[in-house]
Amino acid sequence: MLSRLPRFGRTFPRLLSDPPARFVSQSKPIGAAGSTAVTELHPGAEQTGHGEVSRYVKNPDYHGFSSDPEVDVWNMRVGFFFGISVALVIGGTFIHYLPDHGMRQWARREAERVIQLREMKNLPLIDENYYDPNKIVLATAEEV
Amino acid sequence: MLKILIPTLMLIPTTWLTSAKWLWPTTLAHSLLIALASLSWLKNLSETGWTSLNLYMATDPLSTPLLVLTCWLLPLMILASQNHTTTEPINRQRMYITLLTSLQIFLILAFGATEMIMFYVMFEATLIPTLFLITRWGNQAERLNAGTYFLFYTLAGSLPLLVALLLLQNSTGTLSLLTLQFSGPTILTSFADKLWWAGCLLAFLVKMPLYGVHLWLPKAHVEAPIAGSMVLAAVLLKLGGYGMMRILPMLEPLTKELSYPFIIFALWGVIMTGSICLRQTDLKSLIAYSSVGHMGLVVGGILIQTPWGLTGALILMIAHGLTSSALFCLANTNYERTHSRTMALARGLQMALPLMTTWWFIASLANLALPPLPNLMAELMIITSLFNWSWWTLALTGTGTLITAGYSLYMFLMTQRGPLPTHIIALEPSHSREHLLVALHLLPLILLILKPELIWGWTA
Repeated sequence: MLSRLPRFGRTFPRLLSDPPARFVSQSKPIGAAGSTAVTELHPGAEQTGHGEVSRYVKNPDYHGFSSDPEVDVWNMRVGFFFGISVALVIGGTFIHYLPDHGMRQWARREAERVIQLREMKNLPLIDENYYDPNKIVLATAEEV
Repeated sequence: MLKILIPTLMLIPTTWLTSAKWLWPTTLAHSLLIALASLSWLKNLSETGWTSLNLYMATDPLSTPLLVLTCWLLPLMILASQNHTTTEPINRQRMYITLLTSLQIFLILAFGATEMIMFYVMFEATLIPTLFLITRWGNQAERLNAGTYFLFYTLAGSLPLLVALLLLQNSTGTLSLLTLQFSGPTILTSFADKLWWAGCLLAFLVKMPLYGVHLWLPKAHVEAPIAGSMVLAAVLLKLGGYGMMRILPMLEPLTKELSYPFIIFALWGVIMTGSICLRQTDLKSLIAYSSVGHMGLVVGGILIQTPWGLTGALILMIAHGLTSSALFCLANTNYERTHSRTMALARGLQMALPLMTTWWFIASLANLALPPLPNLMAELMIITSLFNWSWWTLALTGTGTLITAGYSLYMFLMTQRGPLPTHIIALEPSHSREHLLVALHLLPLILLILKPELIWGWTA
C-alpha cells in the first residue's frame, strides 16, 4: 500500500504544466450565460470516441465505463449491484420498516376506525361540546 | 454523524491508493455504501427531533433529507464524470474525485452543524471546491468569468452574515441552534436592526438565488463540468434554503413586514426566469434558469413561514434536487455526443436514442410537477400557503406554473421530437452507465411518492 504513496509527488508537476489549449482568451462572452458555440478545447477526435473507430467496434458490449472490456463489465456490475440492489432495494426496505415516529400512522389508522364506528352508529363525527361544558370553570364577570 | 464522516474522509485515501485500473469502480462502490449508510439518519426516535447529537453536530427532520441527498449525489457525480475524464492523466482523475469528496465533507459538516458559526464556515468552505470545479474543469474559456461571478456574488452576499452572526452572538451569548430556538423574540426597532435582518438573509438569498442576484447561477451552471452542475443544482442551492429556515426563527418580529418585497421579488422571478427559459437556445442555461424559478417558489414558501410553506419548501428542495440533477445529466449525454449545448443543433433525438427519450420525458414531467410526484405536492403546498397570505399571489404562482409547464414541454419537444438534423450522422448509442445514472435520480424521486413523510421536515 505505502509503495503507492509517491504518486502524490508526481501529481503536482503535471498540474503546473497545462497544455496551451487550456489558456484563456480575452474575448468578451456573448450573453449572460456565455457562448454556446462548439469549442476547440475538447480533446482531439481520436481520443473522444468520435473518431474513425467507434468503441463498439472494439467492444460490442461496451457499457460506457471503461475502454478495457474487463473493467467495463465489472464497473457496470458494481454500479448496478451497489446502486440498485443494495442502495435502492435494501435501503428502501430499511426505510419502509422504519418505526412509526410519534405513533402518527397509528393515530391515523385509529382515527379512521373511530370515524367508521361513529358513522355506523349515526353519531356526529365529533361532539359539538368536545369538553363537557359543566367541567369548564370560567372566571366570573367581576374577576375579569 | 461520524459513521458517515469517517468513511467519507477515507474515500480520499481510497482514491489515491487503489490501482488506476479499478479507480472508478472502487470509488463508486465506496460512495454508494456511504449513501446507503446515510439512510440510517432517517431513523428518528427522539421527542425533540434532534438525533445523532454530539458536541458539534446533530441532525433533525429538516437537515436529514438534505444530508441524505448530499450523500446520494456523490456516487451519481462519480458515475456522470466517468466518461469525460477518461482522457485525463490518472492522477488528475484522482484529484477530481478528491475534489468531489471534499465537497461532500464540507456539505455534511454544513448541514449537520449545530453552531451557526460552524454552519457559516462550512457554507463558505464549499465555495472553494466548487470554484476549482468550475474554473479548472469547465470546458470553455468563459469558465473563468463564471468563476469570478460565482465567487464574488456569494462572497459579497455572505460577508454581512458574518457580522450579523457576531452581533447575534454578542446579544444572546450563544449561536447554538439547539438553544437559540428557545430564546424569546428580541426587540428590534432601530434602522440598524433592519439592516441586521437583511444581513442575516442576504447570503442565503444570493445562494438560493433570488431573482435579481441570480446572474452568477446560469454562468456557473453552463461553464461547470457535469458533476459541478449536478451538485450545484442539487445541493449547493439548498444550502441557501436550509440557512434561511434555520435563521428565520431568530428574526421573528421583523420578518412579517420586511419580507414583503422579497416574497414579491421571488414570485416575480418565477415568471421572469420562466419567460427567459421559453426563449432559451442553450440547453444547460435553460435548466439553470428553471432552477432559479423553482428556487423562487422555495424562497416564497420559506418567507411565508407557515408550517405548510416550510414543508413545501423542503419537499421542493429535495424533489428539485433530484429532477434538475437528472436533467443536467441528460443534457450532458447530448453534449458528449454532439459537443454543443445549442438545442437547435441536436433535435429529434427520439429517432436515434429512443430509450433516452423516455428518461427525458419522465424528467421533463417531473420538472413541470406532474401528479403525484413530490414536485407537485411541494408546489401545491407553497402555492396554497402563499394564497392564504394574499389572493394576489395566485396570479403570479399560477402564471409561473403555466410557464414552467410550457418551457418543460418546449425543452422536451425541441430536443426529442421531429426529424433528426442531417448533420448528425454518427451518434453513439446510449450507454448502460447513462441509463443507470438517470435511473438512480428518478427512482428515488418516484419512491418518495410512497413515503413523503421522510421529507416533510418539522411538520412530520
